[in-house]
Amino acid sequence: MNEAINTLTRGFIKENPVTKMLLGLCPVLAVTTTAVNGLGMGLATTFVLIGSNVVISMTSKMIPDTVRIPSFVLIIATFVTIVDMLIKAFSPELNQSLGIFIPLIVVNCMILGRAEAFASRSGVWYSLLDGIGMGIGFTLALLALASIREVLGSGTIFNMPLIGENGTPMLVFALPPGAFAGLGAIIALMNALEKKRGVN
Amino acid sequence: MRPIIILTIVGLLSASLLAVVDDITREPIAKAKALMERRAIEEVFPFPLDSLRTVTQGETSFFEARDTEGQLKGIAVKSSTEKGYSGKIEIILAVQPDHTIIDYKVIYTNETPGLGDKISKPKFREQFKGKTLEGPIWKVHKDGGFVDELTAATISSRAITDAVHRGLEHINQQYPNTAAQ
Repeated sequence: MNEAINTLTRGFIKENPVTKMLLGLCPVLAVTTTAVNGLGMGLATTFVLIGSNVVISMTSKMIPDTVRIPSFVLIIATFVTIVDMLIKAFSPELNQSLGIFIPLIVVNCMILGRAEAFASRSGVWYSLLDGIGMGIGFTLALLALASIREVLGSGTIFNMPLIGENGTPMLVFALPPGAFAGLGAIIALMNALEKKRGVN
Repeated sequence: MRPIIILTIVGLLSASLLAVVDDITREPIAKAKALMERRAIEEVFPFPLDSLRTVTQGETSFFEARDTEGQLKGIAVKSSTEKGYSGKIEIILAVQPDHTIIDYKVIYTNETPGLGDKISKPKFREQFKGKTLEGPIWKVHKDGGFVDELTAATISSRAITDAVHRGLEHINQQYPNTAAQ
């Protein structure tokens, strides 16, 4: 039971795919202009991650090594396309703002990384927990960075205005440099907290 | 031999699954798209729509707004350009029956948040109102035209000017007789 809890929770902070393993940074940097975008991207990626982890853990024994990666990519791409169609059908607003980045989940190395490093050599149950945990960790990281960037760069949070009409937000945070700076700050903070805990 | 068979099976299963999902979502996707367009058209006309007729000519769709007596009150057209800073921009352009611009609404864009996406803001759209195809030079200030480009977003400004201009040309072609003299 302990191991199950550990598999689920280690993705949150201890082995967070973004702040610890620095995986899948392309969407992290690109779509985190608003909190809604960050959350949407995080949930879409989580769905794909859970689906691919489960299917790959079930099928990996049948798939020969020579076609392992192509099969994994195919399975991941299938889930990504499903998410893409579902978002288009049921949340056109989100589709408008995430646009091209949803199909690009296919090449998110975090997902292939979890498939290779974990799901292909673990059981279905643990792979499911790993997918949920890593997905939540990824979503949390995106939401944190996106909130910082939206508050500082646009002066809003979840599209609700925080500053008056005459206030000028720090535009740089809505642009790519702000993404790098914000992510750097989050990673530094996480490392500092971890170091402090390690000393005590 | 075995790898080929396995990969083929994986591909077939994926394709079948996608076919099923596509079948389920095709109708909602079309509906969502139509609804977005319809909402944009309703917002772009400053008066309530009594009746809206869609006329499709080739690849272009025109939307004729008429009052209860059947009098033409405005025409809208979907126009687009590929010249945006991040690719495609799609707008709904609305004009009076005499082809002077009422307003436009951006329905698809990937322009930079905070810079290029200001093309959707009322302050920028204001300068297009009342303009016609003939007369003003359909370019941004920098290129000798009338459109005041957005600071640090000249490319987006050029693109939206292009989209509006093309929309006007489409309308002029479809309704040559009603244009203001």
